[in-house]
Amino acid sequence: MSETPMISIANLNKHYPVRRGARDLFRQDRQVVRAVDGISLDIASGEILGLAGESGSGKTTTGEIIVRLQEATAGEITVDGHPLEASSRKDRKRFRREVQMIFQDPYETLNPRFTVFETIAEPLRIHGLKDKGEIARRVTECLTIAGLKPAEHYLDRFPHEMSGGQRQRVAIARGIVLRPKVLIADEPVSMLDVSIRADILNLLKRLRDEMGLTMIYVSHDLATIKYLCDRIAVMYLGKIVEIGDAEDVIAHPQHPYTQVLVSSVPVADPDYQRQEVTVDDAVPDQINLPEGCRFTPRCPYAQPACLSCDHELVERRKGQQSACIFSPEELRPRSIS
Amino acid sequence: MLDVQNLSVEYKIQGGVLRAVDGVSFTLKRAESLGIVGESGCGKSTIAKALLQLLPKNGKISGGHVFFDGDDLVGKSAEEIRKMRQKRIALVSQSAMNSLNPVHTVGKQIIEAIRCHSRMSVKEAYARAVEVFSMVGLEEKRLRSFPHQLSGGMKQRAIIAMALSLEPDIIIADEPTTALDVVVQGRILQRIQKIHKEISSSMIFITHDISVVSEVCETIMVMYGGRVMEIADTDSFFRAPYHPYSLGLQNAFPSITEIGREELVSIPGSPPNLSEPQEGCRFHVRCPFATETCRIQEPPLEKVRDDHYSACWYNDKVESFRREAGKRDTWESVRKRIEEQILREDAHEEIEHEEIKGAGR
Repeated sequence: MSETPMISIANLNKHYPVRRGARDLFRQDRQVVRAVDGISLDIASGEILGLAGESGSGKTTTGEIIVRLQEATAGEITVDGHPLEASSRKDRKRFRREVQMIFQDPYETLNPRFTVFETIAEPLRIHGLKDKGEIARRVTECLTIAGLKPAEHYLDRFPHEMSGGQRQRVAIARGIVLRPKVLIADEPVSMLDVSIRADILNLLKRLRDEMGLTMIYVSHDLATIKYLCDRIAVMYLGKIVEIGDAEDVIAHPQHPYTQVLVSSVPVADPDYQRQEVTVDDAVPDQINLPEGCRFTPRCPYAQPACLSCDHELVERRKGQQSACIFSPEELRPRSIS
Repeated sequence: MLDVQNLSVEYKIQGGVLRAVDGVSFTLKRAESLGIVGESGCGKSTIAKALLQLLPKNGKISGGHVFFDGDDLVGKSAEEIRKMRQKRIALVSQSAMNSLNPVHTVGKQIIEAIRCHSRMSVKEAYARAVEVFSMVGLEEKRLRSFPHQLSGGMKQRAIIAMALSLEPDIIIADEPTTALDVVVQGRILQRIQKIHKEISSSMIFITHDISVVSEVCETIMVMYGGRVMEIADTDSFFRAPYHPYSLGLQNAFPSITEIGREELVSIPGSPPNLSEPQEGCRFHVRCPFATETCRIQEPPLEKVRDDHYSACWYNDKVESFRREAGKRDTWESVRKRIEEQILREDAHEEIEHEEIKGAGR
C-alpha cells in the first residue's frame, strides 16, 4: 500500500495477568493469558478488514484496543497518522469522535431510558453541538442513512419498542452521527435474524462506499466476512495466521488452520461435498501455550520443524500471507505426536 | 411414527394471549431427520417444548393432537410424559451444556439418567455410557471429568451422548450447535450425521440456519409466524423452493462457496406480532407478491410435488416468483410499501389524537 494507512498496528500485545491463588502473588514469573500476541496490521483508508477466528483468538480484544476500551500491554497503533496514546485531552476527544464501535448485542448496547432521538443526539451534545435545529437535522439524517425510514416515526421510541434489527440500526446511526473515520463492528449481525442480516451488511457496505469509512469487521462467520470485507485476517490464539484478499483466503486457504475453518462452515447447497475435518476441537490452554506454532497440537500436518515456528507471515500467493512454514503443496501428514 | 395434527400452543402474556404455534401438522417417519427452520419467534422451539410438555407455566397446548406410535401425547399426565422423556423422546437443547450439574462428574450424571429410565445395573449403565461416549468421540476417562473440566464442544457432545444412551425413538435437537465455535460445530454436525446413519432413531433438528439443515436433514419444514410455510425434502427445497418466504430466505444467506460478488437481499419488515389476531397469510406484509386475497384469506398447505408442500395461493406462479425474487427491486418495493403504511398509520394516529384533544375541549 503506497498511501499512508488509516489504521496502522505494530506489534500489538495484550496480556492479562492470571492469579490462581495467593501463592502466585509473590511469584516472579507472573502467568499471563496472551490474548493478543504481537500482531501487526495496516488498514487502508476506505478498506473493510475482517478479523476472523474462534472464541479466544483475540479478535474482539484487538477491536476493543483500537477504540481504547482496553489498554494495550505493548505495541503501537496510529489512526490517521496520530498515535493512539494521545497525550492531551483534546487529542483524546478528537480520537473518540473519529473512531466508533458497534457491538454484538443490540439489546444491551442501548440505554433503555433513552429515546432513539436522545440516543443519537447524545454524542453530538458531548462533542459540543448546541444548535437544536442542527442536532435534529443530523439525527434525522443518520436515521435515514441507517435505514429507519420515515425517521420521524422512530424518534420518540424507546429500545424496548423495537426489534433487534431496528435497534442495531439505531446503534449504527449513533455510531456514524459524529462522522467518524473508522468504525469497528464486533459481530454486528450474529444476534440478528437471518432475514435481516443481509440488510445490516448492505448498510455497512454502503457506509463505506458513501462516507468513505474504514472498517474492521470482527466475526467468527466466514460467510458474512467474505460478503462484506476486502481483506480478511485470520487469528488463532492471539496471532494472525493468515491475511489476504477475502475471496482468495476463502477459496485458497494457505494456512492449515484457515483450511480447517473454511471446511467447517456449513453450506446450504445439497451438491456441496464437504471436506472431512480431521482436527481435534479443543483449543489449547491459553496460559501454557504450545511451543512454536500454536496450531501444532491440533494441526493434521504438524512436523518437528513446526515446534520452532515463530508465526512469521510469508507471502504465499499474491497479496496473501500465511504464518505456516510450509506452503499448501509442502504439507505432509502429521509426523509428531 | 410421530404424527402431529393441528397443534396449537398459546402463551398467556400480559394483557392477552400469544399464539406461538397455530395449527401445525407434520409427520415424522422412523429414522427420518426433519429440520425445522425459521426466525426467532416463529414457534419452532415451542413445538419442541410442546411435544415433550416442557412448556413454561404460562404456555399450554390449546388444540391438536400429537400421535406417537398411535398414542396421543396431548392430555397425557405429567408422570406418563416424564417416563417417556429421555427413554423414547430425548431433547438436546441449546443451553443443554449448561444444564450439567457442576458438582457431579459427567459419568455419574449419565449413569443416573440411564438408571432412572431402565433396569440396568450400575455396571451395565457404565458400559452403556462408555459406548455412547465413544459414539460422540469422547474417551472413557472423560466420564470421570466434572463439567468445568470440559470444553463447550465436549459438554455438548456429552449431552448428545446422554440423549443417545437409552436409544430413544426420537431425538429432538434444538439449536444444538448455535453456541459453539465453527470448527466445533462442524465436528458435531459430522458426528450427528454419522450417528443418525448408525442408529434408527428419528431426529427433529431445530435451527435458524438453513445451511445446517441442508447438511443434516432429509426433510425441511419452514415456519413463519407460528404456521408452516413449506415442507419439502431437503434436495428439492434447495433446488426448487416454492414459498416466497423460502425464496427470500435463500437470497438472504451469504455463501462461502460463491466466488465473485453475490448480492444479498434481505426480507424487509419484521415478523407479525402474534399476540394480535392474524388475518390472511402470515407473510403477506413482507411478501412482494401479496395480493388482496393474501391479506384476507389464509392459504392452505398445498401439495406441489411429491413430498413437497407449500402454503401459498400462487404456487402455480412459482416460476416467475423465482425469477423476481432474485432481484433487489422486488424486495425494495416491499420496503416502500411498509414505509408508506407506517406514514399512513402515523398520520391517522395524529388525526385521532387531534380529535380526542378537540373532543376534550
